Amino acid sequence: MTQLIVSEATLTFGGLNALTKVDVTIEPGIITSIIGPNGAGKTSLLNCISGFYHPTSGRIRYGQRNLTHASPHQISTIGIARAFQNLELFRGLSVLDNLLLARHQNLDYSIFHAVIYCGKAARIEAENRAYVEKVIDFMELEPYRKKMVGNLSYGVQKRVEVARALTLAPNLLLLDEPMAGMNIEEKEDIVRFILDLKKEWGITVVLVEHDLGVVMDISDRIYVLDFGEVIGSGTPQEVAANPKVIEAYIGEE
Amino acid sequence: MSANRWLATGNYFTSYREEQRIFFTSLDRTAMGLLLAVLFAWPFFLELDNKYMLVIDNILVAVIAVMGLNLVTGFAGLISIGHAAFVGIGAYTVASFSRMLGENHLLLSHGWPVMIILAGCMGAVFGALVGLPALRLKHLYLAIATLSFQMIFQWTINFMNFFNQGQTISVTRVTWVTGQVSRSQHYMFWYYALLVVIVLCGFGVRNLLRTRYGRCLVAVRDNDRAADAMGMHPGFTKVYAFALAGFLAGVAGALHAYLYRGVGVESFTLHHSISYLAMAIVGGLGTLHGSFWGPLAIKLLDLQVEQLSEWVGAHVTAATNLATALRPLSFGLVIVLFLMFEPRGIANWWRIARSYVKLWPFRY
Repeated sequence: MTQLIVSEATLTFGGLNALTKVDVTIEPGIITSIIGPNGAGKTSLLNCISGFYHPTSGRIRYGQRNLTHASPHQISTIGIARAFQNLELFRGLSVLDNLLLARHQNLDYSIFHAVIYCGKAARIEAENRAYVEKVIDFMELEPYRKKMVGNLSYGVQKRVEVARALTLAPNLLLLDEPMAGMNIEEKEDIVRFILDLKKEWGITVVLVEHDLGVVMDISDRIYVLDFGEVIGSGTPQEVAANPKVIEAYIGEE
Repeated sequence: MSANRWLATGNYFTSYREEQRIFFTSLDRTAMGLLLAVLFAWPFFLELDNKYMLVIDNILVAVIAVMGLNLVTGFAGLISIGHAAFVGIGAYTVASFSRMLGENHLLLSHGWPVMIILAGCMGAVFGALVGLPALRLKHLYLAIATLSFQMIFQWTINFMNFFNQGQTISVTRVTWVTGQVSRSQHYMFWYYALLVVIVLCGFGVRNLLRTRYGRCLVAVRDNDRAADAMGMHPGFTKVYAFALAGFLAGVAGALHAYLYRGVGVESFTLHHSISYLAMAIVGGLGTLHGSFWGPLAIKLLDLQVEQLSEWVGAHVTAATNLATALRPLSFGLVIVLFLMFEPRGIANWWRIARSYVKLWPFRY
C-alpha cells in the first residue's frame, strides 16, 4: 500500500494564492476527507494531485514516485483515478463506452490488431468488457448500460462519473463532491458505494464534500482547508472540536 | 429462451464476443452480403456509358476520402479544411514516382497496389505533420491551420518545376493478371479495384471504431480534459486522428491519379476541400455509413444539375449564364438546407427508416 504525501504545496495564479504550503498525507486503506468553505482550495488540491495543475512550489509524492510535474494521463496509469465535480463525461457515448474508455491503458493491442479485430483485439476487448461489467454490477448501473450518457438524469450521471474512475482500477480514488445536488436516497447510495470500496476493494478514498454530516460519519481522517491553508486535521471528533475550524465554518462567537 | 437469429426482438447476448459483433442478426449480415454481391455483379448485366462509369468511380474515390475526413472531423471533432490537399499528397506521390522513375516503370504499372499503400503512408505522414498544431490549437484556430496547409500545398505544386507547375503529369496504365488494362476496360477495372479498397477500408475503419483506437477519437471530441484523466494523451490522439485521415485521403488520391491517368493541381483545390466537408456533413458527421451517403448524394446532385443546366442552355439561349451558375448555387443551397434542417445528415434518415421498419406495424 502506498502513501500519498503532499508537502508544502503552494499554487499561485498571478497574485492569488490558491494553496499556501499545504501539507497533506493520505494514508492507504482509509477514507480521507477534505472539507472547507467555498473557494478554500479543495478542488485546486485535487487538481494538483491528479496533474491538471502543477504546484508552484512544494512536492507531491506517491510512494517512491514524484508526481509534482506529472501529467494527468501519466498519473492515471499509476493507480490514481479522479471523478470530477462538474460532470466531465463523454456525452455522446453510451455508459458502456464511457467505462471502456477508462480501460484505455489496459487494452494493449496494436493498431494493426485493431484493424483486423479478430484474434488478439477481440480477446482483450472481451476481457476488459468483463472487468467493466464488474464495475457496472458494483455501481448498479445495469439498466443504463447502453444508454447515451447525455440523456441520463443528473444522479445517474454522477454515478457513472464515479464508476468511470473506478474502471481505471485505481489504488487511490479522488472523489470531487460526488454527492453535490443529490437527494437523500442518492446520497445514501453513494455513501454505501464508498464504504464498500474501502472494505471490499481495499481502495484508498479521498473525498471532497460539502455535506458535513456525511463527512463526519464516514471519514477516518479529515483535513480542513480555508483560504488555501490547512487549518485543522485529525479524526472527525478532533476536527469538530478544533476552534479554528468552528470559526471558519460558523464564524466568531 | 432461444433468440431468433434473423430478427432482433431484444438483446439476448450470452457472451461479450456476441456483443462486439458488427452485424447483430443474420438478417443484417445477409443484407450486407447481398448488397456487396449486387455491387460486384451488376456490371455483368448492365452496360453503362463510360461517362456514367466515371461518375460512379468518382463517387467511390470520394467515399474513401470522406471516410478519412469523417474520422478527423466527425469522430475526433477537428474541422479540417485541407482535406483535398491530403488527397493531393497521395496523388502527387504517384506523380512524383512517375517523374523520377519514368512513366512506364514496373513499380507504377505492375506494383500499383504498393503505390497506393505508399501514397496512403505519405498522406499519413503529412497528416501527422499538419496535425501537430492540434497539440496547441483548438476549434476554429485549428481549422485555419489546416486551411493554411491547403494554401501551402497549392503554392508548392504551382511553383515547382518538378511537379510541372500544376500542369497534368501523366500516369501510366496499369497491368493486371490479364495483361495491360485496355482503354475500354479502364473504368470497369478501376470500379472493381475501388470497390475492393472500399470494402477493406470500410471494415478496417469499422473495426477500428470498436476498439480503443476509435473510442479515443470520440473521447477527445467530447471532453479532452476527461480523456487526459482516463490515460489518453489528448494531443497525441489528435495528431493520430489527422494521420488516420491523411492515410485514407492518400489512398483516395493515388486511386484518383490512376483513374484519371494524370495528376493536376486543379483536382485538389480549396473548392474540393470544401466539397469533401459538405459531403461529410450531408452524409452525417460521426457515422461511418454517412461517408457513403454524402458523396453519393452530392455527386448525383451535381450530375443532375449539370444535365439540367445543359438542357436549359440549349433551349433558352438567353439563360446560358444563369444555367452555369446553377451548379454552385444548388451545391451551396443543399449545404445550407442540411445544416438548417438535418444537421445529422442522411445517416439520420437511414436511422429513422431502420427503426420504423424494425418496429412496424407499431409506431414506437
